[in-house]
Amino acid sequence: MNASIQKISFQFLLILAILVCFTPLLPGLLGLFFSAFSYIPAINLQTFSLTGFFELLHWPGLRESILITLFVSLSSTFLSALLAFSILQSCWNKAYWHKVESLLAPILALPHVAFAIGFAFLFTPSGFIARILNTLFNDLGIANWSLINDPYGLGLILGLTIKEIPFLLFMSIPLLKQLNVNSTLVSAQSLGYSKAQTWQKIILPQWLPKIRFTLFAVMAYSLSVVDVALVIGPTSPATFPVLIWQWLNDPDLATLPKASAGALLLLLTCIVLLYLIRFIEWLTIVKCRSWQTSGRRALPLAGKSALLVTYLISLIPLPLLILWSFAQRWPFPELFPTHWSLRFWQQEWTFLWGIIGNSIFIALISATVALLFAIVIHEHSIREMADRRRFVVPRLIISIPMLAPQLSILFGIQVATLFVAHQYYYLWVIWAHIFFVFPYVYLVLDGPWRSYEKRLDMVALSLGMSPLKVWWKIKRPVLLPTLCIAWAVGISVSLAQYLPTLMLAGGRISTLTTEAVALSSGQDRRISAIYALLQSLVPFFFYFIAIFASQKTGMIINQSTVNKRSIAHHVPDSKKSDYY
Amino acid sequence: MKKLIALFSLLLLTTFAQADNINWQKIEEKAQGQTVYFYAWGGSQDINNYLRWANKRLQAEQGVTLKHVKVTDISEAITRLVAEKSADKNSNGSIDMVWINGENFKSMKDFNLLTTPFVENLPNWQYVDKSLPVDSDFAEPTMGLEAPWGVGQLVFIYDKNKVNNPPQSHREMLVYARSHPNKLSYPRPPSFHGTSFLKSALIELSENPDALYSPVDDKTFQRISAPLWSYLDDFHRVAWRQGKQFPENSAETLQLLDDGELDLAISFNPNEVFSAQENGLLRDSTTAYALAAGALSNIHFLSIPWNAAAKEGALVAINFLLSPEAQSKKADISVWGDPTVLQSSKLSSSPQKTTLFKSISEPHPSWQTALETEWQKRYGH
Repeated sequence: MNASIQKISFQFLLILAILVCFTPLLPGLLGLFFSAFSYIPAINLQTFSLTGFFELLHWPGLRESILITLFVSLSSTFLSALLAFSILQSCWNKAYWHKVESLLAPILALPHVAFAIGFAFLFTPSGFIARILNTLFNDLGIANWSLINDPYGLGLILGLTIKEIPFLLFMSIPLLKQLNVNSTLVSAQSLGYSKAQTWQKIILPQWLPKIRFTLFAVMAYSLSVVDVALVIGPTSPATFPVLIWQWLNDPDLATLPKASAGALLLLLTCIVLLYLIRFIEWLTIVKCRSWQTSGRRALPLAGKSALLVTYLISLIPLPLLILWSFAQRWPFPELFPTHWSLRFWQQEWTFLWGIIGNSIFIALISATVALLFAIVIHEHSIREMADRRRFVVPRLIISIPMLAPQLSILFGIQVATLFVAHQYYYLWVIWAHIFFVFPYVYLVLDGPWRSYEKRLDMVALSLGMSPLKVWWKIKRPVLLPTLCIAWAVGISVSLAQYLPTLMLAGGRISTLTTEAVALSSGQDRRISAIYALLQSLVPFFFYFIAIFASQKTGMIINQSTVNKRSIAHHVPDSKKSDYY
Repeated sequence: MKKLIALFSLLLLTTFAQADNINWQKIEEKAQGQTVYFYAWGGSQDINNYLRWANKRLQAEQGVTLKHVKVTDISEAITRLVAEKSADKNSNGSIDMVWINGENFKSMKDFNLLTTPFVENLPNWQYVDKSLPVDSDFAEPTMGLEAPWGVGQLVFIYDKNKVNNPPQSHREMLVYARSHPNKLSYPRPPSFHGTSFLKSALIELSENPDALYSPVDDKTFQRISAPLWSYLDDFHRVAWRQGKQFPENSAETLQLLDDGELDLAISFNPNEVFSAQENGLLRDSTTAYALAAGALSNIHFLSIPWNAAAKEGALVAINFLLSPEAQSKKADISVWGDPTVLQSSKLSSSPQKTTLFKSISEPHPSWQTALETEWQKRYGH
């Protein structure tokens, strides 16, 4: 009796999850297709045609733009994966690893745009580094070259790489905890492999498949990012998503088909690149794996310096933003503001509370619901895989909200809400947030869920526990670090949503992000700094909780407090230095 | 207080004087308690604060709530309207009022996204300075579909302590750039200011500027625009970063001027330099000027979508924003400094009355797209 109720409610949840997370795709993609093929009756385009695609292909600079976008996306993804791995190799379980983990919270909490603004202020020819050089070497003048907006996208690559490394580290924490890195190291080293060799030949092939979905997210983000590219990306031509964004915003509505055709092309490019990453992974891990067994070569990876550079560049924008938010005037080449003022804070202060409340309310609901749904769908997929029935939700569909330019799929969704009942603004906004948050939450759970030790469940089931009880008593505690992290990621993704909030709320709901983005269009560094800080504050709080919780939970053997002691028991004295 | 009473008695008198005063009263009655969702660019704290003030006054006087929906680009509002049109939502729409001009107006007009003509029913319409081109928006007739709100003039800003004789024409800019390489640039088209720079330059350089006021003809476009491209070819060689990079918008040119990377910044508000100084964005020694031939000028407008839910509230709000009180406040350089569209005698004694530069009117809007496309082809990649 009890079991059947459980089964029915699980299936009910499953159907609800699929409905909520995937139905918006239908109007979203339909809207995209229709406008890409020039069918937009509202602006008197009433026949399907390929005009949009022709206009797209004839746009001067399209090839350069796509090439540079691919270059930026592939190199930043590859670099961030490589550097994140080398940091893990050098620093995992070192005495200072705790600090590395704790510092992730403020870095991750800083929104991408805020990071980009800080990054730009660091590197422009009149930026902070230039100011320091100018003070040191007296009047160098201003360089006529800049890493910011440079034509090869190098600044963008550097910025994205540095912003993604902490994310990859963060996502690796629960993975490595599950992989039992310590016992692997002990056994490999007893066979005479060095630490670097063990990491590269044994842990990498296990880490890579588990971090795959995260890499997809990193790649998709770097391929479709608009806001960061606008601040630090190349401009002649701009990257492809920026072009699409500009076309979508073009006052001449006749450019809509071209913009949508571009969005469709971007979506296809994204899918191709995803398969490319999957292919490279397969090539290195499965097909050409002789490097894993032959010889004892290990690449020298400078993990510690990578860590230092990443953390420095990621953390310096924070104090710079704080300075800016109190600066009345801060001209070149001054190292500190020459005039200070509280007015920028004072002017906004009274309006902030309602806005912060709104933002947190929406984020908490959407992240929690998305987390619940992601768990349900993962559980379902695992059972289906186990039964070889394969009624699994394809990953590609799950990741579309992450991959497609938001503006292009939101149009169709917006039309759909208008057909139903557009005045339920909170409902639509929260739904849209769940829709965009879900893939991220799902991806955080992906690796840990698939590598969960099923035998634990079997043992418990065989001892007569009900499936729900097994889940709650065994699986949940083991996966708790992942759940905390997924929840925090969900909250921060929801807090960062600009377009879904604006477009579906019809201006009825303002959040920190809608305010911040609107204000930052005025390019006033001081106002942008205030909202960037506020935008970071809320996610910082939740990331902090998640990291703290993940350090205290999970399999007992992997809990950080117990960790060192239990390893210390296993490691011969001579090797101890490696771990501390 | 006296002033206020005088103002209101004047307002009342004129309201009674109008033939359709009863209609307006009905509108005001209906507007009571309505909330007007006003979609407007939200990138300037000065403007946002001004609208907060307007909301307070409107609530107190008319019982209308003016809610500023901050957007980064007004096209976000237009996308929503297109969506509402696609869903046949012809009443109770979510946008009651928009701040637009130029191409955005043309798009909204062409696709029937605007309400019926309304400006002449506004009691405060009588104060509007009809010598300004308030009935055309970038050469596109407004036909009463949008009410003027303020005036934009293309001006340049420089630092008096650094530059003695700023260039007075686009030709002089080229000369200046040759002797001071890497110090001049303009925002990258199709940004609003960038395209305006192109138009202003073409009007000066063209042998036959009249052609720019009729629609673009593909056959003559190359010939008419040729002087601009040969000018830009020369200019880019000595421009900031060799014309391979451009500032993204007007705000960035201000920042670059302050950082010392550029010698001239560009703005569409002759008074922006004052508010920028007060805000600490620019040095006190900066000043704005227009080119000798005059400043490319346009008007920015307020309008109401066809399906607005609070149409009456929007009318009342627009009427208030056109009142001498609201326009005086707006022209105050410590508030916003946006030049008024009213006859200057109607302004209350604002601390600094804003004087306008000699104006050059905007070319036909079709030139905008044509110039942007050609620029993109030549320099955009």
